[in-house]
Amino acid sequence: MMNSHRTIVSNSRTSPLNAEVVQYAKEVVDFSSHYGSENSMSYTMWNLAGVPNVFPSSGDFTQTAVFRTYGTWWDQCPSASLPFRRTPPNFQSQDYVELTFEQQVYPTAVHILETYHPGAVIRILACSANPYSPNPPAEVRWEILWSEKPTKVNASQARQFKPCVKQLNFPTNLIRLEVNSSLLDYYTELDAVVLHGTKDKPVLSLKTSIIDMNDLEGDDYEEKDGCGMDSLNKKFSSTALREGPNNGYFDRLPYELIQLILNHLTLPDLCRLAQTCKLLNQHCCDPLQYIHLNLQPYWAKLNDTSLEFLQARCTLVQWLNLSWTGNRGFISVSGFSRFLKVCGHELVRLELSCSHFLNETCLEVISEMCPNLQELNLSSCDKLPPPAFNHIAKLCSLKRLVLYRTKIEQTALLSILNFCSELQHLSLGSCVMIEDYDVIASMIGAKCKKLQTLDLWRCKNITENGIAELASGCLLLEELDLGWCPTLQSSTGCFARLARQLPNLQKLFLTANRSVCDTDVEELASNCIRLQQLDILGTRMVSPASLRKLLESCKDLSLLDVSFCSQIDNRAVLELNSSFPKVFIKKSFTQ
Amino acid sequence: MGRRESKDKGFEAAASMLGPGVADGVGGWRDYGVDPSQFSGTLMRTCERLVKEGRFVPSNPIGILTTSYCELLQNKVPLLGSSTACIVVLDRTSHRLHTANLGDSGFLVVRGGEVVHRSDEQQHYFNTPFQLSIAPPEAEGVVLSDSPDAADSTSFDVQLGDIILTATDGLFDNMPDYMILQELKKLKNSNYESIQQTARSIAEQAHELAYDPNYMSPFAQFACDNGLNVRGGKPDDITVLLSIVAEYTD
Repeated sequence: MMNSHRTIVSNSRTSPLNAEVVQYAKEVVDFSSHYGSENSMSYTMWNLAGVPNVFPSSGDFTQTAVFRTYGTWWDQCPSASLPFRRTPPNFQSQDYVELTFEQQVYPTAVHILETYHPGAVIRILACSANPYSPNPPAEVRWEILWSEKPTKVNASQARQFKPCVKQLNFPTNLIRLEVNSSLLDYYTELDAVVLHGTKDKPVLSLKTSIIDMNDLEGDDYEEKDGCGMDSLNKKFSSTALREGPNNGYFDRLPYELIQLILNHLTLPDLCRLAQTCKLLNQHCCDPLQYIHLNLQPYWAKLNDTSLEFLQARCTLVQWLNLSWTGNRGFISVSGFSRFLKVCGHELVRLELSCSHFLNETCLEVISEMCPNLQELNLSSCDKLPPPAFNHIAKLCSLKRLVLYRTKIEQTALLSILNFCSELQHLSLGSCVMIEDYDVIASMIGAKCKKLQTLDLWRCKNITENGIAELASGCLLLEELDLGWCPTLQSSTGCFARLARQLPNLQKLFLTANRSVCDTDVEELASNCIRLQQLDILGTRMVSPASLRKLLESCKDLSLLDVSFCSQIDNRAVLELNSSFPKVFIKKSFTQ
Repeated sequence: MGRRESKDKGFEAAASMLGPGVADGVGGWRDYGVDPSQFSGTLMRTCERLVKEGRFVPSNPIGILTTSYCELLQNKVPLLGSSTACIVVLDRTSHRLHTANLGDSGFLVVRGGEVVHRSDEQQHYFNTPFQLSIAPPEAEGVVLSDSPDAADSTSFDVQLGDIILTATDGLFDNMPDYMILQELKKLKNSNYESIQQTARSIAEQAHELAYDPNYMSPFAQFACDNGLNVRGGKPDDITVLLSIVAEYTD
């Protein structure tokens, strides 16, 4: 089988007895999103494993790992969701990928081979658990090896990224990269990850102090990182507080003002503040401070115990973000269920992206305990078994539902569409288990009259019939993603009709639909003057002339992706840009 | 003779499965401003990648073709073109050769100086082989496009010393079996240089014959059998891949 690592003996930094091992990733075991199709080798996260395919070449190649989004475009479109209050400013991770390696080592370096628009990686973490060990680990710890805020890299060329990683006190073969693509001009593409390390714990010089696992939970580490969940767990239960002679000026402030001040604290700080005195304890434990509860930044430490401690304060929580949390045994089904039973009844928004601890029971609990739920995000919960989705139909107040990369089946989805008539935002991107998207589209057109945004990215078999019923039923549609839907043919007139029936369109993705032609672009120019984002990647049939008409007509257009459109060469892009300087015209290339 | 221009591509897959494959690109695509070698080249490179990454079942070479073809459609670049394909996969553990052939490229297995296995040509009609294709939207329905499932598939045992020859129709149309066998007899050992030399000499010989206007090539013979009074070779791109079943050494 493929040789995914090789041993190098290095004399310079390590003793001969402690040889340095250099490994490429063996497997990609988890990730939050990718550009490519499930089961494909093109632009999918699985390309990050193994030896590089493209590096040192630069360009937009199929054999690389690509996340689904870039820049701020997805924050600017109608389907963008509002940020949670109390998000620590140094948590900026948008996507992640977890990789395993053959051998556990003490890392000395992590090199990331980026082949297009580098600079997205902002954090590297290592896990103490060995995914290949037959015995379940006693304790699972995640430590940050390197972290930095997003910085702009002024080139789109390939580079080998070699950040300085911290020394670890345990060996690891499970590495996690977290990325933020907001400063990128286009999709970032990663080719490979190289882990350098030693089999035995390196001997430290006298100058560096011994880093104990317990020290890593010390305060200054947390200050830098803002993820002090451990202190949270320890200090939650503390009740003994000294009563001082006065509380300083706090005594004089009105209750509401103190609450307002506390709104600005991060969650761990809020919990620490609760220790200081009885007055502030009362404030900090006030359920009104926990209306928005964003636990995603603390995914590395959040567990059942944390939820238990938070329970009492969170009875009024309305927005709850548990995305990325609970994996590898951190949160159990019963822990989650208990929490929801206490805290679910006011819940309006629930984010559970990549929460792999979820099972059918959890979905049942959500449907029973959260009757007022309006927003549910199950993005990339690809391990959720199909029957779990049957419970969602009970949530009749749902306005926003994200099912990207889940295994929901046709019947469950039809049921949801039938009962959730308030739906405004629906994402069915890469839902591969749906048999017939025309039937789905027809149902959406019939039942979801309030729909504003619809993501049908990679919905493999939708045809002009489905589109017709969708467009005639959902007249409020402002955003429609039909990227990589190859069964739509422009010759049927479906795009022209779409343009005429949906004048409110602000975002339209027709990515890789090879039949999009000048007529379609001209219809958009005539009818969809509010268009802001258009992606027509990969068509041979659109000329610069029709694009000019579009740009003249759609004054709000800010993103136009004409990558791999053979009639639109770089010169055409330059000419269009000089006439319309405010539009970002994207033209990707392979070589 | 022979209107079709073509561009052939071949691949050798590494890893534990040896899989020489050829694809013959159909040339009429130049009218669309398309390089005819792009499709066949990308198809074979994708097959190679599939094999290298272990994403295949040795006994299902049609699966390799099908998956590769589907991957071509996942490329952002709007690939156009068509190609025949012939894939041969040797399973080292079972000593079986699994083949998939779509079109008029093909393979021969030679043992003891004789052809013991060969592929069948797949033609819809004269000079129109089965082919995988991706057509531009305006030509859809007009361009011949066969499904990868239409490929012929065979499996058989192989022995040490068996010679496997995969080639595009440029070879078989110009060189009859006995000439190919003559060349192969000259192959004395199984080292890389000898095999490379033999493959090259076969291709060169076929190339010479292709431009001989008086030579009764297999292609001319077939045309005559079908009522066309012609002589001479058939100028075409020629790709020849040669392998020998040998003891495995790392």
